[in-house]
Amino acid sequence: MAENDFEPRERESFGGGGGDEGMFGDKAPRRYQRRRPRQVIPDYVDWRDVEFLRQFIPERGKIMPRRISGITAKDQRRLATAIKRARSMALLPYVWE
Amino acid sequence: MANRTYEVMYIVDPETTADRIEKLNEAVGQLVEKQGGTVVRLDDIGIRTLAYPIKKRTEGHYVLFEIDGTGQEIMELERRMRVNDMIMRYITVRIDEDRKKADKMRAKREKRAAQRAKFRATGEEQQQQAEPAAEVQA
Repeated sequence: MAENDFEPRERESFGGGGGDEGMFGDKAPRRYQRRRPRQVIPDYVDWRDVEFLRQFIPERGKIMPRRISGITAKDQRRLATAIKRARSMALLPYVWE
Repeated sequence: MANRTYEVMYIVDPETTADRIEKLNEAVGQLVEKQGGTVVRLDDIGIRTLAYPIKKRTEGHYVLFEIDGTGQEIMELERRMRVNDMIMRYITVRIDEDRKKADKMRAKREKRAAQRAKFRATGEEQQQQAEPAAEVQA
């Protein structure tokens, strides 16, 4: 029983990278967990497909960074141009209040 | 040079009457044909709320064209759209290259999927062949 109690605690101290503040002070690099993309990016990103593009725009109206959405760099580029085109045609806002 | 596909979208002032918009669309079509292009698709999307006000309007009448051509007609079209005060905003996007890329990617994926399916099928066959042999040994 005692061994069983001990084991998981040790593992916790190993895995919880975010918990140990103070070790590097403010200069600790931000660690992001790599995330699987939640949505599939189609081969052709249509700039008129507002419903699809909306998924990548959080409340403020900014384009979701890649570290959050977890999509590939290539897809992010295509997505960004599509969003910018949609914005210029007032399909999407530049900023949301 | 010759085959390019463009998407042209413009927002017309929502206060213009329906027949004027129709006339405008017709004129655009005629201009494109005159310059040697073809209109693949004309989509009158209609009134839509703008995401932000343009020229103090909160709505706009959207029209979408898909045009095949050389680029000559686009040049002329853009020049005219710029001076037309009914058109609040326009955009031209060349789409043939991106479409081609998308087709290529799809083809690649399908090919890979087919190959994988084939491989899996042969793998199962081998297993099935192996099983009776094991039974014989037993």
